[in-house]
Amino acid sequence: MSAALAAIPFVGYGYVREMENILRSAQEQRVIATARAVATALHDRPRLLEFSAADDDSSRRPGARAATQEIEQILVGLRRASSRIFVIDQQRRLLAIAGSLRQDPPAEPEVAGAWGWVQARLLRPLWALLLERPPEDFDDAIPEELLSGGKEVDAALSGVPASRWRPTPDGRAVVLGAAHPIWSGTEVIGAVVAEETTNSVLTLRNRVFEQLLTVTLAVFVLGAGTLFLFATRLSRRLRRLRDQAEHAIDPRGRVRRAFRASGDSDEIGDLSRSFATAVDRLAEYNEYLERMSDRLSHELRTPIAVVSSSLDNLRTRAIPEDAQVYIARAEDGVRRLNAILTSMSEATRLEQTLATTERERFDLGRVVSGCVAGYTAAFPRHRFELALPERRVELDGAPDLIAQLLDKLVENAMDFTTPGEPIEIAVAADGATARVSVSNIGLLLPEAMADRLFESMVSVRSPAAKAEASGKPKGEPHLGLGLFIVRLIAEFHRGTARARNREDGRGVVVEVAFPIAPPA
Amino acid sequence: MSRRIAIVEDDAAIRENVADTLRRQGYEVATHPDRSHALPAFKSRLPDLAIVDIGLGADVDGGFTLVRELRAMSDQLPIIFLTARDSDFDLVSGLRLGADDYLTKNISMPHLLARIAALFRRIDVLRSPPKVEETVDRGPLRLDLKRMTATWRGAPVDLTLTEFWMVHALAKYPGHVKSRDSLMSDANLVVDDATVTSHIKRIRKKFLAADAAFDAIDTVYGMGYRWVAG
Repeated sequence: MSAALAAIPFVGYGYVREMENILRSAQEQRVIATARAVATALHDRPRLLEFSAADDDSSRRPGARAATQEIEQILVGLRRASSRIFVIDQQRRLLAIAGSLRQDPPAEPEVAGAWGWVQARLLRPLWALLLERPPEDFDDAIPEELLSGGKEVDAALSGVPASRWRPTPDGRAVVLGAAHPIWSGTEVIGAVVAEETTNSVLTLRNRVFEQLLTVTLAVFVLGAGTLFLFATRLSRRLRRLRDQAEHAIDPRGRVRRAFRASGDSDEIGDLSRSFATAVDRLAEYNEYLERMSDRLSHELRTPIAVVSSSLDNLRTRAIPEDAQVYIARAEDGVRRLNAILTSMSEATRLEQTLATTERERFDLGRVVSGCVAGYTAAFPRHRFELALPERRVELDGAPDLIAQLLDKLVENAMDFTTPGEPIEIAVAADGATARVSVSNIGLLLPEAMADRLFESMVSVRSPAAKAEASGKPKGEPHLGLGLFIVRLIAEFHRGTARARNREDGRGVVVEVAFPIAPPA
Repeated sequence: MSRRIAIVEDDAAIRENVADTLRRQGYEVATHPDRSHALPAFKSRLPDLAIVDIGLGADVDGGFTLVRELRAMSDQLPIIFLTARDSDFDLVSGLRLGADDYLTKNISMPHLLARIAALFRRIDVLRSPPKVEETVDRGPLRLDLKRMTATWRGAPVDLTLTEFWMVHALAKYPGHVKSRDSLMSDANLVVDDATVTSHIKRIRKKFLAADAAFDAIDTVYGMGYRWVAG
């Protein structure tokens, strides 16, 4: 389309050029016709010329003056605006002259209103820069060389009508001159020269060019405007699609919400729909992954039940003493498998619980201090340090779940703490946010993994290192589900969980921030 | 006269293992792999106790259907769900259908035997009222240890065996905090903490249904639960 638009000015330009040529040849014909008409009027009236011719010197007699006046009358009668006609005799003496090459510049048509203003103030100055205006103050003297050796004059005096384009002596304008012989019988007694500048054609050409340029400009502005609107709309839709795509998946790669497919029938609509399909599939796959541990534990439970019930039956038989140890080991293995299965399905069960849990207001400090008292009694090998805020911090949620969350945080801290170092538990309130943090001294987190800790089945610190640090017997399952449960409970309370290395670089602090319940 | 126990379980290995364990205890055992085999047998003769799996082969909820049909035949028959499913939803559905207990398959055989024995004891006591009542009285709460029933201010509270044992463990020593682990062992259960929490919730709801002002079970965060003497 733009190629077609770009061709318009060139086609127009060629057309105007063609028109200019036609106008020029029409002008030429007209000037020739004028010269011929004057010459015809003077044909066979040699007296008019002879009088003049006889009077070579400047002392003019009344008869000669009368002849000159008659010629001039004829000339004036045939003269046209912006044309000059003069008559010379065989001796190339100027007998009479009428008209002028100059003309008043044609008045520009005035258009009222905004369009007129645009034309006068914006377009005309612009066109004036592009188009050469025919000058009005050229040198219009009849050059000496025209009379003494102008080709058309020579030709006319030898009996042949001729025409010629010549520049004015100052070169600022072009003059079309046509000369026609004046016959007296078979003898050429003089010549009529009719001259006209090409200014009228140029003016006309300029006006057509101006219109052409105005139309072209208008078409371009219109085309560009249309393209701009179209492009704006496209880019707006693309931007919206991008925002939607970005928001569909959170920084952790979880599908945040369903992607609303566009109903548009074009390519962007297609793109939106395929995005929606991709996001849906991703959501299904994510769900499959999150449910996998649950399904796996469900599928494994039956074969494990087979093993454990078989072992139970075996126990009732008389078994040689040296074989008992194998049964004990098998039972230990089954017990560990069961523990793994239980923790694997814990997250799923918690999600089901969350869906039906009723919220209540409770004092966060009381729950945490109760829990810490419990840990102190239950885990004498560890030291717990508790910091509580001075004011009462109320949350809207389920205290049982907060206790479960704290269990997981403390379990995690105990797994990785250096023996003998305290586990610091703190509740703090600033503004509308309550923070529970559990901090331990021990292994550090790799920085890059800090955000992924709260995903299902992600464990960053290696179990071997952990077993070493905690001195626990090997084999206690560490599936990376604990912090996932922390996240689920935090999100249930509209909070966020974050793990980072301590500022002193000696360990890790896990912090959960909750919005404090507004005063009732 | 030995008691007859019916096992409806699609997994042959578990079915036979449980059957062997029960036979060794002197029970008479009938085993059925699915509903179509079990139902005609039940119609010809009801067992004294039924152990039913929920998923029976291709029949995903076959156990639920079967228990509904069994309950329609007898409202006295003790029924135990023994299943791999451990979601709250299944547990609640199972108990609503009138099962006396809901156990997951990771329960050990000794624990299973203890529960079966307890259920039979309860039946016996209900059938022949004992001369000597054995009860625990804690203010408005009365636990009948023989019948394994609970009343609150004289109104019966319908507890399952698991729930009864939990209430008993708590009320036996009012004021003492019972951890979740010890509640589990008292109730012959092997479950995780969250299941104990949901059992406690259900127990509270049942008492609240009998008395809207009930608050005798106190949560001690991080430690467990205790019975608060009224």
